[in-house]
Amino acid sequence: MADTHPEGQGAGAGAPFDLSQFYQIFFDEAAENLDQMEHMLLHVDLASANDEQLNAIFRCAHSIKGGAATFGFTDIAELTHQMESLLDRVRRRELSLTPELVDVLLDSADLSRVLLSRHQDAETTEPPSTAALVRRISDLVAGGQRSPAGAAGNATDAPHRDEHVSDPVPHPRRKLVLRIGPMSNAEAADEVADLVCTTENIVQLDELPVLQANVRALLIETQLTDDELRDLLAFHVSAEQLGIEVESVEPSADGSSALAVGHSSELLEDEFFGLFSDAPGLPAGLVAERESASATSVAPAKSPTAGFEHKVGSAAHVEAATIRVAVQKVDQLINLVGELVITQAMLAQNSRDLDPRQYQQLLAGLADLDRNTRELQESVMSIRMIPMSVVFNRFPRMLRDLALKCGKNVELVTLGEATELDKSLIEKITDPLTHLVRNSCDHGIETPAERVAAGKPEHGTITLSASHQGGSIMIEVHDDGRGLSREKILRKARERGLGVADQMSDPDVWNLIFEVGFSTAEVVTDVSGRGVGMDVVKRGIMALGGSVEIDSAEGYGTRISVRLPLTLAIMDGMSVAVGDEVYILPLSAVVESFQVAPGTINTVAQGTPLVRVRDEYMPVVALDKLFDVPRAACRCRCQDTCRHYGGGRSGG
Amino acid sequence: MPSILAVDDSPSMRKMVSFTLTGAGYHVVEAVDGQDALEKAETHDIDLVLADQNMPRLDGIGLTKKLREHPKFKATPILILTTESSEQMKQAGRAAGATGWLVKPFDPNRLIEVIQKVLR
Repeated sequence: MADTHPEGQGAGAGAPFDLSQFYQIFFDEAAENLDQMEHMLLHVDLASANDEQLNAIFRCAHSIKGGAATFGFTDIAELTHQMESLLDRVRRRELSLTPELVDVLLDSADLSRVLLSRHQDAETTEPPSTAALVRRISDLVAGGQRSPAGAAGNATDAPHRDEHVSDPVPHPRRKLVLRIGPMSNAEAADEVADLVCTTENIVQLDELPVLQANVRALLIETQLTDDELRDLLAFHVSAEQLGIEVESVEPSADGSSALAVGHSSELLEDEFFGLFSDAPGLPAGLVAERESASATSVAPAKSPTAGFEHKVGSAAHVEAATIRVAVQKVDQLINLVGELVITQAMLAQNSRDLDPRQYQQLLAGLADLDRNTRELQESVMSIRMIPMSVVFNRFPRMLRDLALKCGKNVELVTLGEATELDKSLIEKITDPLTHLVRNSCDHGIETPAERVAAGKPEHGTITLSASHQGGSIMIEVHDDGRGLSREKILRKARERGLGVADQMSDPDVWNLIFEVGFSTAEVVTDVSGRGVGMDVVKRGIMALGGSVEIDSAEGYGTRISVRLPLTLAIMDGMSVAVGDEVYILPLSAVVESFQVAPGTINTVAQGTPLVRVRDEYMPVVALDKLFDVPRAACRCRCQDTCRHYGGGRSGG
Repeated sequence: MPSILAVDDSPSMRKMVSFTLTGAGYHVVEAVDGQDALEKAETHDIDLVLADQNMPRLDGIGLTKKLREHPKFKATPILILTTESSEQMKQAGRAAGATGWLVKPFDPNRLIEVIQKVLR
């Protein structure tokens, strides 16, 4: 083994590198990998997972481990290494993907997240222990393996259930270079080396020099196979901490000889780096040094005329498809565009009364400005838009755990995951939506027995959907559970002293559950103490400028519809003039505007004026009275009327 | 200035390798996986390929095989980055036509040293 690196592991060969500048990229990437792994684990069909899926799951753990080890987050590296080992056995079909295995992987992903955020927060908190999970995983890994030898390390005592016991042909005696490490420290490496030396069936011939204190290289002679050696040391070193290289093979008694893989096949080598002696691309100097006599061909085995098989896309495929930008930068841009939009709107407003003949060019310029500003606004807003899948993706996992806890079978269907919503809204809607989904599972969906008794399929279904409706987004949580009970809600309302009447409309009754302290748990189910305050949910949604509606049928299910504005950053308005005063209604609150023909307004008993719109009566609010604007100032014109969302509709 | 094609599906590893090598005076072309690397290799002059082994779409060994089929890359040094330094992996790399291998995680200074040695 030619040691060509007298200066050691490169330390001091150049300026020390500050790896911390890559931490954030690593954190983001690891979080993405964890999310992806969780998503795949939850969606993969355990019984018929294909290689591609298993490889993809493996790769997530593998990538995190690689990064964590590189950037020195040893706790994450250790945990993900275990996950990787487990997944490696799964993808090799040595272990099957069982629910138990998925559980342990999901738990590990959770813990990895905790570890990540701890490193991200400059490690201010106590490190959580990974030991229990690491043990759980290594038990699973070992469980699938041919029983590893005991900690005593006595290979002959180790029970071998498999073919090796009955194998009558003795293995050839081989000279091996056994590389142990890198271990956590030199003592640990010594311990394992001592263990090897004291094991029967292994004769230590020499200890080879190595560069690092925590690595040992032993020249041994043994009849044990590579697998047996690995099993023997499985409790002490991971697969990657054990390198086995064949020095020579002595033919066994029957004359058969294993393929000798000459150690000399590598030109330059240590534990971290090696070059193949006859490989293409070797530096000329090195080849000359080494191959003074034998004429080594540098030509590749295959015909050089063959071109690339894969010619996908053109050179126009630029460096990276996405860039990561700090949110503050985008926010600053949005703020500036917001100011620009306001300035533009002011200009437009002030130029309205200008004479087009006199100011033709100015007005044309303002029209261009208007169009360009709108486009700019839309482009900038789209930067902050995030698909709803970001929120929806957390629910499969949550529902799985919750359903298990409640002993229910719940299937989650998500629709319109690609619907985009402003980042700030996404963050704020997550909690209220989580409450709603949890309520649906907890109180809406019945137990399998109840469902079967009611003639429904055992599986309850919760449907989460998102869609655009005009300037707003509609998010619906729909379950096919037991539905709200009108009777129970009214009874509960009376107990609480709320003014209710038996003839109240259904929507009014459902809205009662948004009253403060009106526990849904006591209303809909008899499970106590689990109710999530729906008032909190409603308040949260109202604070975002949204609204909530409930639709329910007892025995058939409940649908909760949340309507939200697409963004909070810039909101369009509709200006309404009352006399000399101008008011602005947020456009997201306007359903439609129409002119009221005189004579279509009727007044009912209490003097409330009503307008009839497509066979529906709506109250008319006189803005001059509401805002106390002197009547004299009002010009009598046709009233522009609009309907708006939130707490009922009205015309004005 | 020698050009190095750095292929890794992990953005953080890619950034680190790229930063390290750029700092050492190399020109770095990044690729997100083997398939992307093939496309980049066609349009750039590459003096050395540093490829991660485990990647989606096309892994490091697959990439090596494909590159060696192309006359332009028959003698270009290709180093495979791997976390598994198993004999099996090495032999697969060797059979595919790789020039050598490098085990992750590695020290940035060490990476420069190795590249300098190979590009000597």
